[in-house]
Amino acid sequence: MPRNFKILFVFLATLGLFYAELALGQDTKLIEAAKKEGGKVVAYGSLESDTADAISKAFQKKTGLEMEYWRASATKVMDRALSEYRAGKPFFDVILINDNPLQIMQKEGLFAKYDSPSAKQFPKDAIDPNLGPRYRNVIVGIVYNKNMIKPADVPKSLEDVVNPKYKGKLVMPDPTQHTTTTQWVASLFKLMGKEKADKYIRDLAAMKPILVESLLPAAERVTTGETPIAITYVKYAYIFGQKGAPLDYVRLGKMLGDGHYAPLSSKAPHPNAGKAFVDYLLGEESMKIMAKMGEFVNRKGVHPPLPDADKIQFVEMEDLDAKGYAEKKKEYTKIFLQ
Amino acid sequence: MNHRTLAIGRVPPAAATLTRVASFFSQPMNLIFMGVAGVIAFLALYPSFFLLYGSFTDAPLGVPGHFTLHNYVQAYSDPEAYRLILTSFIFGIGASGLSVVLALTLAWITIRTNAPFRRLFELTAIIPNIMPPLLISISWVLLLNPSNGLINVTLMRLLGLAKAPFNIYSVPGLIFVEGLILTPLAFLIIAAAMKGMDPALEESAKTLGSNEFGVATRITFPLMRPAILAAGTLNFVRAVESFDTPAIIALPARIEVFTTKIWREALGSFPTNHNLAATYGVGILAIALIFVYLYRRFTSQVESFSTVTGKAFRPHQIELGKWRYLASSVAFVLLILMVVLPFLVLLLVSLMPYYHVPTWETWHNLTLSNYRYILDTSRVHKAFGNSLFLAIVGASICMFLAALTSYITVRTKIAGRGLLEGLVFIPWAFPGTALALGLLWAYVDFPIPIYATIWIIMIAYVTRFLPYGLRAVSSTIIQIHKELEEASTACGAGFFATFRRILIPLMRPGIMAGWIILATIYIREFSASIFLYSPGSEPLGPLLYFLYLDGMRGRVGALGVVISIICVILIAFAQRLSRWEAK
Repeated sequence: MPRNFKILFVFLATLGLFYAELALGQDTKLIEAAKKEGGKVVAYGSLESDTADAISKAFQKKTGLEMEYWRASATKVMDRALSEYRAGKPFFDVILINDNPLQIMQKEGLFAKYDSPSAKQFPKDAIDPNLGPRYRNVIVGIVYNKNMIKPADVPKSLEDVVNPKYKGKLVMPDPTQHTTTTQWVASLFKLMGKEKADKYIRDLAAMKPILVESLLPAAERVTTGETPIAITYVKYAYIFGQKGAPLDYVRLGKMLGDGHYAPLSSKAPHPNAGKAFVDYLLGEESMKIMAKMGEFVNRKGVHPPLPDADKIQFVEMEDLDAKGYAEKKKEYTKIFLQ
Repeated sequence: MNHRTLAIGRVPPAAATLTRVASFFSQPMNLIFMGVAGVIAFLALYPSFFLLYGSFTDAPLGVPGHFTLHNYVQAYSDPEAYRLILTSFIFGIGASGLSVVLALTLAWITIRTNAPFRRLFELTAIIPNIMPPLLISISWVLLLNPSNGLINVTLMRLLGLAKAPFNIYSVPGLIFVEGLILTPLAFLIIAAAMKGMDPALEESAKTLGSNEFGVATRITFPLMRPAILAAGTLNFVRAVESFDTPAIIALPARIEVFTTKIWREALGSFPTNHNLAATYGVGILAIALIFVYLYRRFTSQVESFSTVTGKAFRPHQIELGKWRYLASSVAFVLLILMVVLPFLVLLLVSLMPYYHVPTWETWHNLTLSNYRYILDTSRVHKAFGNSLFLAIVGASICMFLAALTSYITVRTKIAGRGLLEGLVFIPWAFPGTALALGLLWAYVDFPIPIYATIWIIMIAYVTRFLPYGLRAVSSTIIQIHKELEEASTACGAGFFATFRRILIPLMRPGIMAGWIILATIYIREFSASIFLYSPGSEPLGPLLYFLYLDGMRGRVGALGVVISIICVILIAFAQRLSRWEAK
């Protein structure tokens, strides 16, 4: 009897919608509020632009909200965010950079605590009380050019790298100028104990490595073939490898790295859009997108398509404050440059 | 708020002074001076004030701090700082000297002789200014690095050498690359002055029996002194202030210059110490002002440099006979070094999926994907739109201000005009990032909402690059003899009529040179824009920067190639507009 079917259909549909509304209830309310704010979220970050683009498109598809992204290096993001905040007019809703500068900004009150429902998916020890979950890690390792080094000659460990046979063949960012590298050198004790680390640093300096401005130029020199071995982000082996460069990375097992967070601004011009974005960023879909683009996301079982990525054990680098950096820079200037 | 108001002069109490003031303002020249001075003072001092203030406190902008001289002590009591200033001086003198020599040669060949292809040379000499210095430095490293530089590898194969003949990671390498980068600027200034010269002096030298070479060395080049000094000064300060080239070439060579030290101590430190950066900026400013003073001293006998007089003339062209092919070859070689080689490397980088020393297989792997990215991405189109707008409108506004300022400082006797010129240099002396932050702070809370729009970037560009426009146009205005203006005023023309119908046409080579310099800088500038733009108003410079940061050299190369081509079209158009009317 068609009429009864119609009533049944309408009833079931309404029921379905009701349950869907319950499940997404919080989501849709947030999105509605975000749309009233202007329908967009403004993020400043050091997340690579292609990755941010991919996330932005997916975010818009899912919620109808736009994401405006200002990309720069972490220090510049910190500079701009702090300056705007101190002038009383921050323009950003969310910041996407690594741990150390975020702690400095946190101390000045730039962020609001936000307990995103998506945060439940992260291991408890990866959640910072103020900044939220550490959603991805950037890992520093040894990357080399396969065409320039025979498989037998490839270094097998960090200790191997300071073997005199590699003298003149290693490139790394200047630890007296590049803050992440300063951090890396200062955190080596976490991998090999303090005494061994102190000796290692001196041996490394004795190798007279070629010094460049940051981790990317180091990777580029290996890609172009100018220098065969680099201390750089492991993900570049994947990113440049995708383009055809003959790169591989040394399977060190434990590698040092930094964590990235996505805190919400305490004076966000679009707070609801900001929250909706953080919810999305920390969610399953976004994690998968980032991993596919080469990122080491902090989700169990989700890995970038780099061979043996699942075997890498992430060790968090030591945080340094302004005084700590100044001291280390002075120390490393003596060791590396004199 | 107190720090935002500028106190202008004292308040005169007596009526007698009131009449003096009234008569001062009744002269149109003085009104214009006040107007221009007001605009420039505001543009220059408003952001610089925050930086200067910052150099005397111990807290960052916006955080209450205490007055301290600690920054100055830290910056200038370090003996290493002076050793590095010396290295920077050597680097600066070498690079600017090289650029002036190359520019003089090229200018003489293209403007003064009948060498074939000289129009082409004139056009292409500007191209290196369009490419961001970062890209040029990278290109030269790919060409001349001792391990797999293209030129080295080719020479080693051809001549059977065991070791690479050239090593770019050295002081000569640094001077060579920076010199090439600076040559277009020197060329534009010197060529403009040469175009405007009255050939009467050269012709009389020839009549008295001098050969062409004698004329060049004893008449032409000495008369070019203001232009040569202008170009040399600008390039010297620019070399000393540059960071991109030293970061790429000096660092691996373990050579330290002043800017890499500034980077280590202030800008690259954590968190960034802008107070210290501002302190260093004050030092650079002092150096720049000394040079400005010297420049004014050397060109103070204005009359002796006037070569543009009331007599109608055509620029003297030297018939070289069969030597003209040699001249063309020399220009050709120079252009290969300045333009062709870096551009070719850029092209290669844009067509290869990742850069490596090309082999026969490379041909199969060439790809157009980077160009496809440019065509497909709306963000890139928008950036082009923004940058072209900034370049065309910004350069015009800046040259208008520069022409007026230059007239005031060179032509009038108004008290305080030297101060005006000094004001123009203040924002320029601060390191780019430091100035950007000063501008951010100055305009983020401005009553008119220009922060985060394209207009704040325009203001930043005009503020920062006014000295270039000023230098370009000053050297031409010096050549114009007073009699032309006096004739105009005698015929009853007011200031603006004279300015518009006599001076601007005569200053055209200088104005055009300045416009081209500015437009090509604006189109790819990033150190100031990076802090001031927002996603909607993104120009090309920051786009190139973040593509580079993400390791996408191929896209950077492709974008660089397209920007160069568009700029060449823009410049050819501009040069057309400035062409001399024969008779």
